[in-house]
Amino acid sequence: MILAAIMNREMNPEMNREALDGAQDAIVRMRRGDPDALTALISRYQHRLYRYLLRLVREPAAADDLFQQTWLRVMEKIGRYDASRNFESWLFSVAHNLAVDAWRGQRGDNLAEADESSQPPSERLPSGDPGALERLLDFERGAALAACMHQLPAIHREVLTLRFEEDMKLEEIAEVAGVPLSTVKSRLHRALEGLRAAMDTRIPGRKGI
Amino acid sequence: MSEHPSHASFAALLPLAAAGALDIHQQRSLEEHARECEACRRELEIWSGYSQALRRLPPPAIPAQLMERTRRRLVQEHAAAADRRWDELMLGALALFAWTVGLTFWFVARLVTGGELVVMGANLVRFGTWTAGSTVLVWLTAAVAALALGRRRREFRRAL
Repeated sequence: MILAAIMNREMNPEMNREALDGAQDAIVRMRRGDPDALTALISRYQHRLYRYLLRLVREPAAADDLFQQTWLRVMEKIGRYDASRNFESWLFSVAHNLAVDAWRGQRGDNLAEADESSQPPSERLPSGDPGALERLLDFERGAALAACMHQLPAIHREVLTLRFEEDMKLEEIAEVAGVPLSTVKSRLHRALEGLRAAMDTRIPGRKGI
Repeated sequence: MSEHPSHASFAALLPLAAAGALDIHQQRSLEEHARECEACRRELEIWSGYSQALRRLPPPAIPAQLMERTRRRLVQEHAAAADRRWDELMLGALALFAWTVGLTFWFVARLVTGGELVVMGANLVRFGTWTAGSTVLVWLTAAVAALALGRRRREFRRAL
């Protein structure tokens, strides 16, 4: 039953079609020189792109700078973008390449660990809400998982965020990371194993998530 | 397909199965195996828990004004690129204009002097000498003019 649910999720092509159509329209307008089109694209992808970059580089300031650089590069290269390609994969691959270049400059993935939120989870929940406890537990599980994900190598964080948070297909992830499909699969496998090992270390004796 | 994959080989597929990363054939084989194998079913539930939790990770807060800062940087970069293109275009246009003027003057000078204007032993209206002299003059003038025009244009834009 679990497998069937996973397969159904995988085979649902409707998920982002509407969003993609809107993006294609903005791309066409941008190529025609419409100044509002790029703003529309940034607005559409800002949260996803920033999340991806932050998961990748971990440092908010670096993610912020890479976010801006990505859009500069998009503006510069949009004329060469092949409209038959998936725009999201192209956009994320531009961001990926800029992050790789930035790492090369810094010689390694040694950015400081940064907590994305300093606000305690209990302060985020309204009191008297019957679902508050469940959400608090959810939040704590999420926070623990995010912390464990933080410890993984960048290539593993990348594949996890693209697969689960961005809901990308394996082929799209391969396009973004510029690696073969088999590499994406092995990275995904190792990333999940690594994540589970980190969770087991963090919360010893726990079976599930 | 006479091989029967072992329990271990199915177990190794479980993380990818929960991630929806198996092909249809692998997924079906695993499904059949999991029907009979309690340990694999339990493991799959755990991995599915991870998969669901990863999909529900709290999104990071986007920095304030990031969109506005990006938009401003894009506008600045766009203006700078437009200035660079304009400078290049002006340099080319001025050089072309100066060449045309140089050649016209050469033609007129040859007509007026009868093809000979000797200064310090060099015939200035000879094609080679005229071309060399005017090339240096043309490019210097064009570059200075393009820079001056570009600077004026940028100052005008800043004043707006």
